[in-house]
Amino acid sequence: MLMSCAIAFEHVTHRYTHAVAVDDVTLRVEAGETVALIGPSGCGKSTLLKLAAGLVWPQQGSVFVADRALAPDNLLEIRHRIGYVIQSGGLFPHLSAVDNVTLAARFLKRDRQWIAGRVAELTELVQLPRDALDRFPNHLSGGQRQRVSLMRALMLDPAVLLLDEPLGALDPMVRHGLQEDLRRLFQRLKKSVLLVTHDMAEAAFFSQNIVLMREGRIVQRGSYRDLIDAPAEQFVSDFVKAQRGLHAEALDD
Amino acid sequence: MTESRLLSAILMVAVLSFSSIAHTATTVIGSKAFTESVILGEIATQLTEEAGFNAQHRRQLGGTRVLWSALIRGDIQCYPEYTGTLRTEIFSNQNIQSDADLRATLQRQSIWTSQPLGFNNTYVLGMRRDRAAELGITRMSQLAEHPALRFGFSNEFMERADGWPGIRAYYRLPQQDVRGLAHDLAYRGIESRSLDLTDLYSTDAEIVHYDLTTLVDDASFFPVYDAIIVCRDDVPDAVRQSLNRLAGHIDEMTMTKLNARAALEREPEARIAASFLRDRLDVSVEAKVKSRFARIWQRTQEHLAMVGISLGLAVLVAIPLGIVAFYRRGIGRVVFAIADTLQTLPALALLVFLIPWLGIGYAPAIVALFLYSVLPILRNTHTGLADIPRDLRESAEALGLPRIARLRYVELPLAARSMLAGVRTAAVINVGTATLGALIGAGGYGQPILTGIRLDDTRLILEGAVPAALLALLVQWVFGWIERRWVTAK
Repeated sequence: MLMSCAIAFEHVTHRYTHAVAVDDVTLRVEAGETVALIGPSGCGKSTLLKLAAGLVWPQQGSVFVADRALAPDNLLEIRHRIGYVIQSGGLFPHLSAVDNVTLAARFLKRDRQWIAGRVAELTELVQLPRDALDRFPNHLSGGQRQRVSLMRALMLDPAVLLLDEPLGALDPMVRHGLQEDLRRLFQRLKKSVLLVTHDMAEAAFFSQNIVLMREGRIVQRGSYRDLIDAPAEQFVSDFVKAQRGLHAEALDD
Repeated sequence: MTESRLLSAILMVAVLSFSSIAHTATTVIGSKAFTESVILGEIATQLTEEAGFNAQHRRQLGGTRVLWSALIRGDIQCYPEYTGTLRTEIFSNQNIQSDADLRATLQRQSIWTSQPLGFNNTYVLGMRRDRAAELGITRMSQLAEHPALRFGFSNEFMERADGWPGIRAYYRLPQQDVRGLAHDLAYRGIESRSLDLTDLYSTDAEIVHYDLTTLVDDASFFPVYDAIIVCRDDVPDAVRQSLNRLAGHIDEMTMTKLNARAALEREPEARIAASFLRDRLDVSVEAKVKSRFARIWQRTQEHLAMVGISLGLAVLVAIPLGIVAFYRRGIGRVVFAIADTLQTLPALALLVFLIPWLGIGYAPAIVALFLYSVLPILRNTHTGLADIPRDLRESAEALGLPRIARLRYVELPLAARSMLAGVRTAAVINVGTATLGALIGAGGYGQPILTGIRLDDTRLILEGAVPAALLALLVQWVFGWIERRWVTAK
């Protein structure tokens, strides 16, 4: 069957009032696969994620999540199969960490014991200190906030994780630690992950499937090696080179 | 002894309970916003009570129009009025010639009139006694012989057909130095000799106070303004008979003295009325003059009732409306256009507009305050929702919560701070605006302010203004506490 995959975009186009954000994109993420979306600012990678979460709707084409086409009448149900994490964490400041994590489960009237068990499990999984659970978001460190946000995304055991620069706001040390934790977590959970990042090293670290976007279109899909060895166009080489960073150039000299 | 005491106690209870069954309806007596009307209203109220009825005096409700429509609606049962005023102001288009005509016209409207109380409170012209004596003026017709006299009339008198334009034509007066000014300033102008003559009400207390001579209207220019009491004809006969006991008992001199005691000596109207009834009608009534504390306490209750009820209703209406206005922009535009317009209406005008529908008292005051409270709460609810960061809104959506749940668990709590600020603004505005409630009989802190302005009594004004200011501060403080305790960002 054509659509036997976790996330699929079929000729999807999304325009904002003045610009095309996503232009005729077709992309599939297989079950258990981690795909890293990368590209310069404004290339449409975040919009693609929002399309998958049903936060914006395509003017053309269809979006499928777990083999079902996203539509207004199945949206809530499909969202329960999706975990969504953004750069700022998106935690609700008026709720404690644990209340943030369990909000949807409580609304869905899940069994209290199930919720408690799930929280304990996830706390361990994301390696959050237990005493952080009762704190409010403003009293958590940046890294802790992202761990809580990840717990919230994982709470209902979704099939799909949509991560929009989840580590983008963290300082390098914290970021590095969390990268390691996240990769281990992805491998262990075997979720389908669509990860947006602007950092080529991070993309390469997480995935063999890097999708490079530019001006709303997919330029090339492949491993880091593929992008270096067989760039689809000059832009790919330029982007990779720019991303190697000053430290690489410093070492080359 | 104990038996008779027991018997009298039982009798008391029986009488009390019987009278409360017999007269559960209270006779409400209104008065206009000037001293004489308040005194007459108080006298009528005490007489009605003395006749065994429950009576309530709603003092200084406003002008003739307000009292008349309150009477027609049945918000009040009686109020003191003047025949000339009914003829010229209420039935101006009916050309009523005689008192019998007036009585018949009123009867068709189901209004009963008492016998004339005994005085005619008409316009008069007054001069300093020494100045009048110096010129030998005692009658209005003599004014024509003194073209250099300086006249200062109250602004209304300058315009009225029964004022200066009429007099000038009727008596053929030649004076050129004629100006309009505020009534109170006219007295001062006369006293300081910068004016020679002004218009007065014939029973003004100030006539005696400033030692003025009033000129005889020797060609009978001014119409007759006989004081009467008008009642709806559904008041019991006994009340009417009781009020008719006043017939002919208040002459001009008496009324002037009563006015002076209130306006110049600042004696409470209730006490003036009681002593009048005791001296003239041998009626002994208890002058119910409340202690200052009791007065302030009662006004606090009235004020809080107005502010609390109107604010509660506004919260119930404006918050849902603000939510709808946020999610449905088309509706929002209409809602805000209406709310903005309402806010621009002057409070006084709004109150008067509401009287034909809602009468006097709490109802129009609460409706007006409610209307003023809606906009701040509405706007802050809308702003609170609009200011929620897109990140958080989308995070809530992505959790798969339906719209109602997002509103309940995420958006309203995040907007709570702004909404509370709106309620706080509305509450503080209400505490101030509610002082206007006194103008239409709703009481509150505006009552002593109004009386204080009427009697030029700063202490009375402060008796209303200070508690109102303190209440506003208290409201600020309470909302500040709620905000710190419940909605401060964690």
